Amino acid sequence: MASVKLTNVKKIYDKNVVAVHDFNLEIKDKEFVVFVGPSGCGKSTTLRMIAGLEDISEGTVEIDGEVVNDLQPKDRGIAMVFQNYALYPHMSVYDNIAFSLRLKKVPEDVIYDKVTKAAEILGITEYLMRKPRALSGGQRQRVAIGRAMVRDSKVFLMDEPLSNLDAKLRNQMRAEIILLRQKLDTTFIYVTHDQTEAMTLADRIVIMKDGFIMQVGSPDEVFDMPDNLFVAEFIGAPKMNIVRTKLVCEGGKYYVTPFGAKIPVDGDKGKALAARNVKSGDVLLGVRPEHIQLAKAADHAIPCTLVVDEMMGSELHLHVDTEDGSRLIVRVPTLDLDKEERRALVAGAKLHITFEGKAMHLFDPDTEKNLLT
Amino acid sequence: MNNEKRHMGLKTLNRASNTVIYILLVIISVIWLLPFVFIVFQSFRVESTWQVGYVIPQQWGLQNYINLWNSDFKRWYLNTFIIALASAVLVTVIQLCMSYTLSRFRFKMRGPLMRFMLILGMFPGMLTMIILYRVLADLGLTQANAVPGLILVGVASSGMGYYVSKGFFDTIPKSLDEAARVDGATRFQVLYKIILPLAKPIVIYTILTAFMGPWGDFVFARYVAMGTSAGYNVAVGMYSWLTNDQINSWYTTFCAGGVIVALPVTILFMCLQKYYVEGVTGGAVKG
Repeated sequence: MASVKLTNVKKIYDKNVVAVHDFNLEIKDKEFVVFVGPSGCGKSTTLRMIAGLEDISEGTVEIDGEVVNDLQPKDRGIAMVFQNYALYPHMSVYDNIAFSLRLKKVPEDVIYDKVTKAAEILGITEYLMRKPRALSGGQRQRVAIGRAMVRDSKVFLMDEPLSNLDAKLRNQMRAEIILLRQKLDTTFIYVTHDQTEAMTLADRIVIMKDGFIMQVGSPDEVFDMPDNLFVAEFIGAPKMNIVRTKLVCEGGKYYVTPFGAKIPVDGDKGKALAARNVKSGDVLLGVRPEHIQLAKAADHAIPCTLVVDEMMGSELHLHVDTEDGSRLIVRVPTLDLDKEERRALVAGAKLHITFEGKAMHLFDPDTEKNLLT
Repeated sequence: MNNEKRHMGLKTLNRASNTVIYILLVIISVIWLLPFVFIVFQSFRVESTWQVGYVIPQQWGLQNYINLWNSDFKRWYLNTFIIALASAVLVTVIQLCMSYTLSRFRFKMRGPLMRFMLILGMFPGMLTMIILYRVLADLGLTQANAVPGLILVGVASSGMGYYVSKGFFDTIPKSLDEAARVDGATRFQVLYKIILPLAKPIVIYTILTAFMGPWGDFVFARYVAMGTSAGYNVAVGMYSWLTNDQINSWYTTFCAGGVIVALPVTILFMCLQKYYVEGVTGGAVKG
């Protein structure tokens, strides 16, 4: 159990390729932090610098107040789970889990207790004598977690641990990681490119792009109040609809005018704009697919044509084209539609959509920063 | 119906071509084995020590092997064995460490170093013979002291033979090293607890080739021993029996020596051939 602090951490490879720029983050004791971002954003590199598998070019990494820059991985009090499991193929599951303890010359009876206890928690007791190649992907991942568990480490590092599993198993293991976290009650740093994993697991999410931190915040914060366009589009699936439009200020009230409609920016968002004294002008308007509703033809409703309808079971994803050719995605819960309405939703159908002011996100078209934060 | 017929036709064709291939292979192996059978027969021939015009001995016996035992052969055999064994151990250790280092560590000049060794390795070793002899002579490692001298020659440049095992190590995921290092292993522990057990075929291949080189060495061994029988290895020693004045009294003994020399290598290969084949092809295919 420990805090982790990264101060101005940089990773520069040969030939001056900068993989991580000035990374500053304080992770509290027992916190579950997820680094998320597209591939090549530097999230794994940052994790590997914390683990000691990668040199730190600049800055310091502290674990529990101690600078660990020059410590070997084994001396940092960390445990790590790798994407490809990295089980030792020539050893049985038992020996794999016991490996670190044997290196520490822990007595065999203590090792036995620890290994069997970890195996019990993970439900792999019956496979202890098998070799890794005789296990399924999910079982292998459990062994990898077991190997990290027995080390009683202060910080648990996980590098895309679920990306090699199929979708169904991934959901199941995700739930198990949440349970595991409750049992271990230690600091977790988790790397993934999957925003769903990040949202479901994290206390705090660190969203990265091209080696820069784009935003740090709780799942709620990054979803409701994305700092910038990148975060807005990255978090949430299907991704947020972005439309370039005008923001109009009339008599102290704000409106956006997408596709000829005039939709008031009311409530807190309107007040926030007024408080910042935002002027009329171009903006990028973001609306999440689940915040757009189908509507009857009306003043502020936007006419559009259905192009593709994707049936997801509990909801429909409608891809619609507006009159100026912009493509939007609308998420409609299937329960909200009666049979008649559902039958009408075929390619080519003419629809009207609308959304409320409180669902809007407004971004500066030049800086791509959120106008409301 | 038609399909079935075609299927049957294919099967017969397959069987026919297989039969032809097997017959060919049997013929080739018989031709290939004949000289060995010939030597084994000669080694049991008692009626004369000369070369004769027939293959199957008229009188069988172990006289030639007894002659061997009473000659300098014991000494030569021991010399060869010591050189081959020491080289096998040292070369294996050096070469595997070198390969692991080049496979896993990234350091300045790594690329140029590898290319340099590759190019250097293209020059025939014989080119260095004269200067090597001078160096060994200055160190007092020639003639009667040829054994340590030859070990030195065999081991000195062994790091340069890193290609095959490096290629094999490259196929072992780096994350295994990293997992082991996080688990608390030192670099050396990673090598001998994780990597070497996984690279068994290549370790055995390295040991075998390192053993075989000195075991069959003739040119260097003859040169370094320079006519001193105490420093001979088997090849050089037995060659001294083949001079015009010796050959008629030593010919069958020479054949017996040949059998004894081939014996340990044959046994080694038979036990380890499974790994050897994996080692030779493994690095290339997986790399």
